[in-house]
Amino acid sequence: MAESDPGVEAWVEHTSAFDRVRSVAGALSEPRPASWIAAEAAVSENTARGHLDRLVELNVLVEVGGEGATRYAPDPLHARLATLRELVAEHDHDGLVALKADLQTEIEEWRAAYGVDSPTELRERAAEADSAAETTEIRRTASDWELVTYRLGIVDDAIENYAAYTRDGTAPA
Amino acid sequence: MGGRGPADDVAARSHRALRAIRRELDRNPIVTSARGFPPDAHATVEADIDADRVEGAVGDATLTVRWYDGELSGRPEFSVHYSDDAGADFGWHHEPNPHVEGWGHYQERPDASAAYDYEPYSFATLVPSQVVWEVAARLRERLAERG
Repeated sequence: MAESDPGVEAWVEHTSAFDRVRSVAGALSEPRPASWIAAEAAVSENTARGHLDRLVELNVLVEVGGEGATRYAPDPLHARLATLRELVAEHDHDGLVALKADLQTEIEEWRAAYGVDSPTELRERAAEADSAAETTEIRRTASDWELVTYRLGIVDDAIENYAAYTRDGTAPA
Repeated sequence: MGGRGPADDVAARSHRALRAIRRELDRNPIVTSARGFPPDAHATVEADIDADRVEGAVGDATLTVRWYDGELSGRPEFSVHYSDDAGADFGWHHEPNPHVEGWGHYQERPDASAAYDYEPYSFATLVPSQVVWEVAARLRERLAERG
């Protein structure tokens, strides 16, 4: 990445170095060293290193050992817990139940439309589709289905543990 | 940790990318608000664009972002698509398609009944946080041209 890349100047103007390091590292799809994260976050490597250490202490990231430089990856638990926190902050119990029903409806519609029971089964259909447009559409739906299923799991967790997660009294009754 | 895991891990990675995307959209001055879990499209992130601040944007202007950190390492499938009350319907996509060489492209259609036109587009980055800012910059340019 270069400073001259489109949008980078605005990104730097509107965010802090810490924000950018956190944002890049928190969404890594595979472990990366500080040098890589620094370049993508438009910060110096030393700055990145300091922020990455703090993010490890805060359990946002984990360090991944191995040969060569330390690499960093998102702590899988962190994003899940943060999502739970947002869900119980934004919805009361009834709201979460309604959200769950919405997610289930979306899945049911895909199940009915394609006559398959899982996104994996649907993905297999993509290869047999009649047209390229249909293949694209099927692949996209399978991806959405996987994601909605994952999110449904978090919503379920929020509903089941609603009392425990909101015991401090800050969430709506 | 470094391996590409089963579907659950794919979903978790995609979910994390979408969270980062939502946060970056909220930080962008052209966005008034961004939502994860939007109604009827729970796998996406939606953002409202401030039509008063962006030349060429009309009425209820929205960006819809999909991100799937899937089957191939380092090759996420994603799209950042714009629409507004004036019928604008275009976006920047990175996904397999039969229309252009490679995955990156820009697609636009004049109205809902027309087919999309496609042209190749080369993303400067495939890092989700940064893609948001890149597309926001391209969006301003494109809307100003149309405006």
